[in-house]
Amino acid sequence: MKERGFKTLMALAVLGLIVGSWGIVDRFVHGHISMGFGSYVPWGLWVVFYLFFVGLTAGAFLITIITYVFQVKRFKSIGRLSAFTVLIALLCELTFISLDLGHMFRLYRFMITPSFTSLMTWFVIFTNVMVIIYLLESFFLLREDLVLWSQDKKRKGSSIYRMLALGKTSYEPEDRLRDENRVRILSIISLPAGLLFYGTNGAFFAILMNRPIWNSALTPLLFIMAALVSGGALITSLIYVFQHDDELVRPLGRIILFLLCGFIFLEILQFFVGYQTATVGLVTSLNLIAFGTYSWTFWVVHLLLGSLIPIVLFISRPNDSRAIAWACFLVVITFVAVRFNFLIPDLAVYKLEGLESTFFHRRLRTDYAPSLVEWLVSVWIISLGVLAFLAGTRWLPILSSNRRGGEEHA
Amino acid sequence: MNTALPSEDLLIRMQRDLKRAQTKNPADIKWTMVIDVAKCIGCHACTIGCVAENKLPPGVVYRPVIEEEVGTYPNVRRRFLPRPCMHCMNPPCVKVCPVTATYKNQQGVTVIDYNRCIGCRYCLVACPYAARTFDFGEFYTAETPDLPGKLVGQKTTEEGYEAHPAAEYGKKWAKRDDESPVGNARKCHFCLHRLAVSMLPNCVTTCVGRATFFGDRNDPDALVSELLGSPRVYRLKQELGTKPSVYYLR
Repeated sequence: MKERGFKTLMALAVLGLIVGSWGIVDRFVHGHISMGFGSYVPWGLWVVFYLFFVGLTAGAFLITIITYVFQVKRFKSIGRLSAFTVLIALLCELTFISLDLGHMFRLYRFMITPSFTSLMTWFVIFTNVMVIIYLLESFFLLREDLVLWSQDKKRKGSSIYRMLALGKTSYEPEDRLRDENRVRILSIISLPAGLLFYGTNGAFFAILMNRPIWNSALTPLLFIMAALVSGGALITSLIYVFQHDDELVRPLGRIILFLLCGFIFLEILQFFVGYQTATVGLVTSLNLIAFGTYSWTFWVVHLLLGSLIPIVLFISRPNDSRAIAWACFLVVITFVAVRFNFLIPDLAVYKLEGLESTFFHRRLRTDYAPSLVEWLVSVWIISLGVLAFLAGTRWLPILSSNRRGGEEHA
Repeated sequence: MNTALPSEDLLIRMQRDLKRAQTKNPADIKWTMVIDVAKCIGCHACTIGCVAENKLPPGVVYRPVIEEEVGTYPNVRRRFLPRPCMHCMNPPCVKVCPVTATYKNQQGVTVIDYNRCIGCRYCLVACPYAARTFDFGEFYTAETPDLPGKLVGQKTTEEGYEAHPAAEYGKKWAKRDDESPVGNARKCHFCLHRLAVSMLPNCVTTCVGRATFFGDRNDPDALVSELLGSPRVYRLKQELGTKPSVYYLR
């Protein structure tokens, strides 16, 4: 990434933090009063972004599959970037969901009174497993450079690098072999852990029998595919921006095209089965996606900008890594619409006929529009993630192709 | 004496049933509600009685009465369906709660431990009857003109007018700031705090048409047990297998 682009992004992230801090203050002072959602649509924009960031963590999962299942060793070189991206996405995901809770300071309850019949408990467990795996993986991937940097007297903050290297002062070839082996073991563990993580995220919704779209065995599979599409597209864009490695971007582009087509096929199946089943709740929910207030997010944002244009780019310019990176970028940013259209329509249908005409209150309606505070907090968290990511690429040895360190890449 | 007329108010009988139930081992009681929709006149007294009893804030309602128009003109009728928590015997909300904040008590009432609930709202999403609402911390008096208040926090009218303690679950939940039950899922609890002092749930007492009945279905002499033998009995969304403890009479 060029210095100018880096500074512009940094400035935007800082601006986002400043602007978004109004929302954060409001959230802590007034709790949930400023939220746009209510009791019939009890999850809103923050849960949408939470699902979005869960998906973005799948980039490393995809790279691990390619490296260890399909034995394409070339992809090992982006291990650091993909592992670090997972950590940042997990940071954003956890911040979103924590702020969404009515009592975020009771998170410790997951440890002292967990209910193992709840898929939310299992999802929290698998999230922690992912955090631990990718923290350890990042540490073992970065340790060699952290030790080298901590010994470099000319480098600013060498004491911080010493602390991050846990005080290690020398790094021998045996250490490298040992760390590589540890990373390999962690990556292999991440395969079943990742499947459980993304699958549980889907099952979390699929088990709810009163939610016609979600209550399907297709949902966990849809979540795994969605994660691979969005996470894979993100890591492809990042490789193009930070590592300029065309030999990696091109094959990844083909994989994303295949995954995206597979995901759209699953969506078509969902609509086909839904309309053929023709139960009132299911058809009403599907109609909300296709013809409701936010149908433009489905047709324009998801299908046109996030699917059709990227597919055309992938097919028409298969060797142009810049076009592939743009296609992937479009897939990533428009994927918020996919998450929105998954979450809101199934909530926005009254579960008992006539409920809409009794006890009027804005919290007891099914129409939902995110409030200003919800947007501001979202801007704040995303800016925090961007800032942390940029700081990592600048001051940590994330970009692995060059042993001299990240500063030269900026 | 003319036996066609009831010899006593049904409330008196239910009160007697209640006192008899309370002499039993609590684990042997299964609280049950029966609602006769043919007798419900749609006055909403139960809704308001419940709001008043539990000091419910804006947007939180435990027992709305759903109004429906059925038939085609000129053969039309209005139908009213009070909808408390169903206190399902196989409750989806209990299964999904990640921190065991919601559970079935000994008498089959689905309860919420407000001090344990993290406010994730998964139970709201899981309930097929939309019987749960989230307490956003709002005040009915929020728009009431007031002397200049504090920079941060509640106004004096809010503190004064809406500070009457609610007695849910036998505790006094007085000040509405950021503490529970604000930020929690809330729902009907069959007025457990009233049952504890041998009083019927407030919706039963306030029902002017005597359309709501309450008692222990394990007691064969109780009015509710008698009503459950009626061919008019049905439960909402039975196909989901939730087995509600609230029964309706057609």
